[in-house]
Amino acid sequence: MSAPSRWKYFADGIIKENPVLILMIGLCPTLATSVSARDALGMAAAVTFVLVGSNVVVSLIRKVVPGSVRIPIFIIIISTFVTIIDYVLQAYQPALYRVLGVFVPLIVVNCIILGRAEAFAYGHGVFDSLLDALGKSAGYALVMLVMGSIREIFAAGTWFGVAVTPAWFRSAPVLFMIFPPGAFFLIGILKGIVNRLTAGKV
Amino acid sequence: MNPAKILMGAFLVNNIILMRFIGLCPFFGVSTSLETSFGMSAAVLFVMMLAAWVSWLLYHLLLVPTGLVFLRTAVFILVIAGLVQFVEMVLKKYMRGLYSALGIYLPLITTNCAILGVTFLNIDYRFNLLQSTLFAVGTALGFALAIILFAAIRERLEDSPISPSFKGYPIAFVGASLVSLAFLGFTSLFGISL
Amino acid sequence: MDWNLVLISAAGLGGLGLIIGIVLAIASVKLAVKVDEREAAVRAVLPGANCGACGFPGCDGYAAAVASGSAPLNKCSVGGASVARSIGEIMGQEAGAVEPMVAVLICRGGKDVAPARFQYKGAADCRHAALLLGGPKACVYGCVGLGHCAKVCPFGAITMGRNNLPVIDEKKCTGCGNCVRGCPKGTLLLVPRSKLVVLACVSHDKGKAVKDVCRVGCTACTLCTKVCPAGALTMVNNLPVMDFEKCIDCGICVHKCPTRSFIDRARGRPKAVINPRCTGCQACVRACPFKAIEGEPDKQHKVLADKCIGCGECRKVCPAEAIDMVGALGHAHPGKAA
Repeated sequence: MSAPSRWKYFADGIIKENPVLILMIGLCPTLATSVSARDALGMAAAVTFVLVGSNVVVSLIRKVVPGSVRIPIFIIIISTFVTIIDYVLQAYQPALYRVLGVFVPLIVVNCIILGRAEAFAYGHGVFDSLLDALGKSAGYALVMLVMGSIREIFAAGTWFGVAVTPAWFRSAPVLFMIFPPGAFFLIGILKGIVNRLTAGKV
Repeated sequence: MNPAKILMGAFLVNNIILMRFIGLCPFFGVSTSLETSFGMSAAVLFVMMLAAWVSWLLYHLLLVPTGLVFLRTAVFILVIAGLVQFVEMVLKKYMRGLYSALGIYLPLITTNCAILGVTFLNIDYRFNLLQSTLFAVGTALGFALAIILFAAIRERLEDSPISPSFKGYPIAFVGASLVSLAFLGFTSLFGISL
Repeated sequence: MDWNLVLISAAGLGGLGLIIGIVLAIASVKLAVKVDEREAAVRAVLPGANCGACGFPGCDGYAAAVASGSAPLNKCSVGGASVARSIGEIMGQEAGAVEPMVAVLICRGGKDVAPARFQYKGAADCRHAALLLGGPKACVYGCVGLGHCAKVCPFGAITMGRNNLPVIDEKKCTGCGNCVRGCPKGTLLLVPRSKLVVLACVSHDKGKAVKDVCRVGCTACTLCTKVCPAGALTMVNNLPVMDFEKCIDCGICVHKCPTRSFIDRARGRPKAVINPRCTGCQACVRACPFKAIEGEPDKQHKVLADKCIGCGECRKVCPAEAIDMVGALGHAHPGKAA
């Protein structure tokens, strides 16, 4: 495989096959944990860790795993990485862990991770799987950053904790964005914009 | 905790889909028609109760005494996956009618965030077996309410003139946002703040 | 590093996995459901469109019914005769004949000839609009034109034309009947593909009541019943009902109808030409419903080609076999499932 097409595995995941906005998978944690930019990126980091880990390991053992039991094997591998990141966050980032809550263990059933293991890592080499995982994670992080930033700016007037709006705005923020309706609304608008931009190209 | 409050909390105040964001994939995937929504809701209720029992028993009778609490993620998901597959086989053999109604949804539920979410929440809230059951039932009913309401809305949306880039998912999300807004009104209902 | 813990957890998880695996393996054998091979074979030859034309819930449903002997073998209109033959081979029986059908719009009231009564701003679907006082068109019987049929066609054979009437692509139509069942007004009909002339009006009103609401609606003038040479038309409830067995597709009613309420699906019609065997008996001059033959007595008669519609009435009465129908009768598209 030539070098340019290898990097395609990475690049595709960011825009063309963005897991959240194009493939429409992995929505639950996206909406729940993107309340602020920092938390959103924290979640993206956790997902990156698990995705990269599982893609690489699945790709390493793909030749010895029989097809009929592959799903349970994938699940065990993924849950291993999820358990690791669960305890790491508990120990070193307790504030983030409290915000992410039940969504950390729920990474194990995140469609993105099981989906990529099944659709890609099982059939490709280690380096390619690594690139794919990094690409999808980057795409995921991008969406999380956008959503987290918008929600934080509207609902608290800050970005990464730093005030970026005038004081009069911060005293009467748009709380709608912090609550669930705001999250649904925001992703609907984002998906609508994405559809408009990709109209005819997809 | 008051059993009624647990039930109400899971059903309305902290509706698993519209308030907690857990279980969104099937929510958007299956709610395109009212019929499939009913089928999915029934399947979720069935599996959620079984999963809540099995996971609670395994956690408190096996993992805690042996100090293997950190294995809960792997254990829960493995057991749920195996359970669902077993249930599917039983239904196919002994309850053909139920199988043709629910059967296709069972594999979809295996990796459903909602099922696993309930098992973890049961532990976080330190519920006993009865409370866990109530929580599971309330959650499943809340799932059913949300998905059925939403399916009715989406069926009407099908025939409405919507600009092409918003057809499908985008307008469905905006619709969900409005339903969620309505459910926001249930906050602090009966003083529940689960 | 507590190796004990590592060992115990590895063993525990491994043991759990093993137990689950064994239980599932035993269960898959003990709970196995016997699969009817013939059902699988029948299902494999079905087109898989799940359109419901057969009357069963999807192709799986029809395959199950055929295998259990509770369904006729020729019900699949999408697959047509070839699928019926295959099913017959699998089941070891003769499949009955399959008459290929096609959906036809039996209303010509587009927005240019049938005005609207009010502006409708509801959900953009015929079924919703029809609930509101019978629909926004002045003619309450006619096609609403909001495209429900186009939405439910599983084969993409229907598109909405500029006239607000559905256009059916006869190449793609398989005669499954989804559009017919879905239409709230009953302005879609399944017709045998070989049938060339169809009445395109469903209004049970007559005379001025029809003319007020549609320029091409049937006013029940009964002229068609009188000019039909085969006696295939009878008036029922202000509409001519066509007996498909009797109709010879001559096309006379199409041209005689003052409101042009019939449609001719033929893609081309022959013309009558008189050859030199003509004896000048004037039988054809009298027989032609359109006065398209001119001729003096005992002189060679001539057909006026622009008036001739190719009905063949002249050929029936000529005693000298002097009339030939030139040009083929262009049959409608035979469909994919021929």
